[in-house]
Amino acid sequence: MSTLEVKNLHVEVEDEEQKTKKEILKGVNLTMKTGEIHAIMGPNGTGKSTLSQTIMGQKNYHVTQGDILLNGESILEMPVDERARKGLFLAMQYPAEIKGVTNVEFLRAAINARRPENDKISVMDFLKELDKNLELLDMSQSMTERYLNEGFSGGEKKRNEILQLLMIKPNFALLDEIDSGLDIDALKVVSKGVNSMRGDNFGALIITHYQRLLNYIKPDVVHVMMGGRIVKTGPADLAMKLENEGYAGLRDELGLDVKLVDED
Amino acid sequence: MTPDKLVQLATDNHEPEWFIQKRLQALKEMSELSLPKIQRFEYHNWDLLSDITKIINDTNKHDKNYILTDIFAAMNEYPELVQKYLNQVIKTNENQLMAYHTACLNHGIFLYVPKNTVVEEPIEVNLVQDSDQPFVSHILIVAEENTQFSFIQKMTTKGSKQSLANCIVEVVAKDNSIIKYAAVDELGENVTSYLSRRATVGNNAYVDWSIGLMNAGNTIADFDTDLRGEGSHSEIKVVDITTHRQQEGVNTRVTNYGKHSIGHINQRGVIMDRSRLIFNGIGHIIHGASGANAEQQNRVLMMSGKAHGDANPILLIDENDVIAGHAASVGQVDKQQLYYLMSRGIDEKTAQRMVIRGFLGDVLVSIPSKVIREQLVQTIERKLENGQQISENS
Repeated sequence: MSTLEVKNLHVEVEDEEQKTKKEILKGVNLTMKTGEIHAIMGPNGTGKSTLSQTIMGQKNYHVTQGDILLNGESILEMPVDERARKGLFLAMQYPAEIKGVTNVEFLRAAINARRPENDKISVMDFLKELDKNLELLDMSQSMTERYLNEGFSGGEKKRNEILQLLMIKPNFALLDEIDSGLDIDALKVVSKGVNSMRGDNFGALIITHYQRLLNYIKPDVVHVMMGGRIVKTGPADLAMKLENEGYAGLRDELGLDVKLVDED
Repeated sequence: MTPDKLVQLATDNHEPEWFIQKRLQALKEMSELSLPKIQRFEYHNWDLLSDITKIINDTNKHDKNYILTDIFAAMNEYPELVQKYLNQVIKTNENQLMAYHTACLNHGIFLYVPKNTVVEEPIEVNLVQDSDQPFVSHILIVAEENTQFSFIQKMTTKGSKQSLANCIVEVVAKDNSIIKYAAVDELGENVTSYLSRRATVGNNAYVDWSIGLMNAGNTIADFDTDLRGEGSHSEIKVVDITTHRQQEGVNTRVTNYGKHSIGHINQRGVIMDRSRLIFNGIGHIIHGASGANAEQQNRVLMMSGKAHGDANPILLIDENDVIAGHAASVGQVDKQQLYYLMSRGIDEKTAQRMVIRGFLGDVLVSIPSKVIREQLVQTIERKLENGQQISENS
C-alpha cells in the first residue's frame, strides 16, 4: 500500500509575464491511500488545478509552506520526471501537442523510463498491452501512429490521457477535469478506463466541477475546496448534496468568508 | 593547381576535349571571382579551394528505362546530353566556388530520365567523401517532360583529416515533371563544405526538396530554385542541427518567374553549444509573375546561451498580383511540452530531444519518403545526443 500526504500546503503561483506572485493554496491537508478514489470538487479559481500541478511538480507553482509526502518521503525537491517514476501521474486538462513524435513512441518511452536499462519492455508485450487498452477505450489503432496529441479533438486528448494512465500504471493518478468537454459517451469510456485501474495498488484524485463524472467513477471520499483550502470532507453523497445546493449554499452553511469567482 | 597538372588528371580520366577546355577556362577565371554572398555570415578565411589529387569514378549504373552513370563516363557516352545540360542551371563563372568546382571536379553522377517515364522505386545514391583529398562532386539530374521519380542522396565522410567538400546538384525539371529530392548530409567534423543545390522548374512541374543538413563541420549551403514555368511549384524543407563550434550559413532562395508559380520555404534549425547558424530565406518574385505565391518560414531554436543564430527572411517582390508571406523566429525549448513529457517519467534529456523533434516536426512530417524520414529521425537523435554530451562536458 502507498500513501500520498499533503500537509498544510501553501502555494504561490508566478505569473511569468506580469512578474507577480499570488498565493493560491492556503494550507491544504489531504491523505490518500492506494485502493481509494478521492474526488475534489469546488468552484472555479479555488486552487484545485494548482493542487494537482504542485503535487506533480510544475515549476511555476512555489511551495512556501508545508510538505508533500509519498510513502513518508518528501517529494518537494524532486524534479517532475522523478516524481512520475515514483508513481505519480497527472492527467492534464491541456495536454501538450508534439508533432514529429508518435503516440506509440512516446508511450514506449514513458514505460521504459520506469524500467532498468537491461529490462526494457519487449515489442510484443507492449503491443499486446496497447491493443487491450485501445479496445477498452474504444480508440482506433490509427491513434497510436499519429503524432502526440497533434490535431486531436478535445475528446481524443482526454482518451489519450487515460490511455497513458492505463499503459503507465501509476500508483496515484491526479485526474484534472477529465470530464470537461466530453459528451456522455466519451465520459462513459473515460470512466470505464479509470475504473479498470481500481485495485490495491492504485489510488486516484479526481478533480471536477460537476457531480456527473462521479456517477460513473464512484469516489470513496469527496473533498470540497474553497478559497485555497479543503473546507469539507465526506462520503460520496456529499457530491450529490453539492449538486443540489451549490457551492454558495455550502459556503454559507459553513459560514466561510470566501468570494466565488463566478459570483456577482 | 597548375593547368598542366589539371590537364594531366583530366587526360588520364579520358575526358573529352570540350570538358578539359572548360576546366582550364574555369581555372583561369577562379582568381577573379568572389565567394558567393551569404547575408550575415562571414567565411572568407575558410579553406575552400584546395588542390585535388585524383579523380574518382562513380560506380552507380543503370541503363534500362533511365540513365544513371558516372558523369565522366556520361561525357563520352552521352556527349550531346551532358554538353547541353551541364551548367544550364548553375553557370561556371557565377562565383569563385563554382569556378573552382568546374576546374577541380573529381566526382559526379549523371541522371537522365527520358520523356514520359515514371520510376516507381526511389533512385538512391550514397556518396562517401574521402578525407584524403577535396571532394568536388557534381550531380546532374535531367527530368524530361512528364516524368516522375524520387531521388535520395546520402553523403558521409571516410577518414578524419581536414578536408573540403564542394558538392553541386543541378536539376532540370522539364514541363509536367514531378521530382522528389531528399538528402541527408552527414559530412564529418573536419570537413569544410560548400553545398549548392539548384533546380530550374518548367511549366506545371514540381520539385520537392527535403534536406537534412546534419554535417558536423563548417558548412555553406546554397539552395536555389528557379520557378521558370507557368504553374511551376517547389516545396523546400530544410532541417538543420549545429553542434560544438560548428559554423553554418544557409541561403535558401526561390525565384518566381512563372505566372501562378508556387514556392514555399520551410526551414528549422537547432543550435547547440557554441555553434552558429544563419538561415536566410529569400523569396523573389519577378515582374510579370502574376498570381505567384511565395511563402517562407525560418525558425531556429537556441539550445545554449553561447549559441549564435538568426532566421532572416528576405522578400523581394516586383509584381503586384501575388501572395507572399514570411514568418521567422528565434526561440527556446517549449517548457510546456517539456513538462508534459517529463510528467510521464521521461528524463529531461530524452524529453528535450523529443521536444526538439516536435520543433523540427513540421518539416519532418512533410518529407515524402517514410524511409528517409525515419533515417533522418535516427540521425537527428544521434546528433542531439552528441550535442547534449558536448554541452555537459564543456
